[in-house]
Amino acid sequence: MRFVALWASLIDWEKLMSINDELYDAIVFGERETVVEIVQKAVENNEDVIELLNVTMIPALREVGEQFSTGEVFVPEMLVSARAMQGGIDIIEPLLAKSGHKPLAKVCIGSVKGDLHDIGKNLVAIMLKGSGFEVDDIGVDCQIDDFDAAVERGAQVVCLSALLSTTRDAMRPVADHFSDRDEVKVIVGGAVITQEFADEIGADGFGLDASDAVRVVRDCLGLDAATA
Amino acid sequence: MMTPRECFHAAMNHEQPDRLLIDMGKHIGSIHRQAYVALREHLGDDSMVNEKKILDRMAQTVVPDESLLQRFDIDFRWILPNWVQVTERDDVPGYVDMWGVPYKAAGNWDHCVVDGAPLREATVDNINDFQWPDPQDPEQFRGLREKAKPLFENTDYVIGADAIKAGVFMNALQMRGYDQFFMDLVIDKPFAEALMDKILATLKEMWSRYMEEVGPYVQIVYLTDDLGSQSSLLISPKLFREMLKPRIKELHDHIKSLADVKLMFHTDGAVLPLIDDFLDMNVDILNPVQTSVTGLEDTLALNEKYGDRLCFHGAIDVQQMLPNATTEELEQEIACRIYDLGRNGGYILAPCHNIGHDIPPENVVTLFEKARQLGRDPAGLKSLVETGTSYFRRQ
Repeated sequence: MRFVALWASLIDWEKLMSINDELYDAIVFGERETVVEIVQKAVENNEDVIELLNVTMIPALREVGEQFSTGEVFVPEMLVSARAMQGGIDIIEPLLAKSGHKPLAKVCIGSVKGDLHDIGKNLVAIMLKGSGFEVDDIGVDCQIDDFDAAVERGAQVVCLSALLSTTRDAMRPVADHFSDRDEVKVIVGGAVITQEFADEIGADGFGLDASDAVRVVRDCLGLDAATA
Repeated sequence: MMTPRECFHAAMNHEQPDRLLIDMGKHIGSIHRQAYVALREHLGDDSMVNEKKILDRMAQTVVPDESLLQRFDIDFRWILPNWVQVTERDDVPGYVDMWGVPYKAAGNWDHCVVDGAPLREATVDNINDFQWPDPQDPEQFRGLREKAKPLFENTDYVIGADAIKAGVFMNALQMRGYDQFFMDLVIDKPFAEALMDKILATLKEMWSRYMEEVGPYVQIVYLTDDLGSQSSLLISPKLFREMLKPRIKELHDHIKSLADVKLMFHTDGAVLPLIDDFLDMNVDILNPVQTSVTGLEDTLALNEKYGDRLCFHGAIDVQQMLPNATTEELEQEIACRIYDLGRNGGYILAPCHNIGHDIPPENVVTLFEKARQLGRDPAGLKSLVETGTSYFRRQ
């Protein structure tokens, strides 16, 4: 009985009861039409869309990100889930703005000095967006000026991506450029990036993959670890 | 002493040749033009003049000078299909390839990046209206017979037919847009199938003409695609087997019906889960055996499991090892890969990818010199393998 009481005290019953299972599953399984239908109905019923976002939608995409990290799902499934979620976001975005809901923070992401394939960077952008951040994707072949401009536009976190070792070194001057600005965090990731390299160039964080990137961005901004 | 071509035939039959086969100078296996200049300066070799003779425009690699291939004792000579139906862009520095995929130059032509997707808005109904490459273009293979025949008749090198860029999957991703095609594979299969079928039909026709020209003279053909990322596959094995495998197999079977060749298949990334499928697809040689990715680090285990049925090409990592290894670490790494993969034939040592300008020229020279030296006695490398300083164990 003591165990049950203890366990019961640990569960946030309010949160648990307010997860919309049908919507959660529709995002996890990438069923966009179902997501749109459920969210539309929720809006028509004046449901709390901020709660829908934070309690159901973001955790659903987080689960997909974790499944991607563990190799249960792959790039197509992750993109299809993000697309499904976007179907719902498109409906509630105007309402979020009207209610004064703000994104967690603004981040910019770009591949340094060009890279051959940018699918990894795109997956990170999707996960960050789906986790409540505003994402300014500045593309590939980015120079310092491009990151500067993004910071001028409000980015608090600069996410750098590099696939090739020939372009990895281009991260160093970007990290140096922002090193005396405590309010701008620099996060790095990509196929050739290691924690060691991140430490060497003075980056504020290193993300292993798309799902991990969200954790790292939250960490460097001092946000609590996300829980389901 | 066996000739390179004799060694190749032996190695491909999993018989130990009397020398290790070493390759360099093809698509996804040559030297970036800046690295080439650095190498020339390091060697003090004025005969190296090809820094502007571009092999692959996207990666800005060069066609190595014959003198360098001889200096490094390279066993292969590659026939390169001509770049055709390419248009130069006038909006930005760059070009549009024969598949209609636009590229823009990055970093003052350091390399080029894909810059758009010509079939992003296409549908099943209008996909054939697109300006597909002309598979009957006489320029594509012009002059190749004249190159291949004398090489075959007058030298002992292994003659290879280099790839027609790009593979079934890569072309689909680039023509449709990466994000969109990955999703098409799951939520718009009719479009994904129609696109890949059209690419496949085009490639089959091109390879028919290619093999008409060089088929009697080449021993190996190279095909490229990318199925893996650093730690995983890009798509699930189930989806691969449903959507990609039958089509890539059809291309492989078609080519093998045209010429008596060994088929080398390139895929970057962590593709260990698909190797049995590659065997089904009539792949003879797997390239590049990227040892810096999940599942392919242990080349001994790889050879134990597959070495009786599959040959390996590559295994010299350019992503992390070659740019950063000390001379001792590089020697140990070369010894390891030769020992793991080369004791029963079946191995061609090569850099896993292009040699970029982050790789010190000293390491390039050490690679080929040590490979030739250590390759004389793969079985005798045991003590170096066990006691040497490993770059990857440094991590």
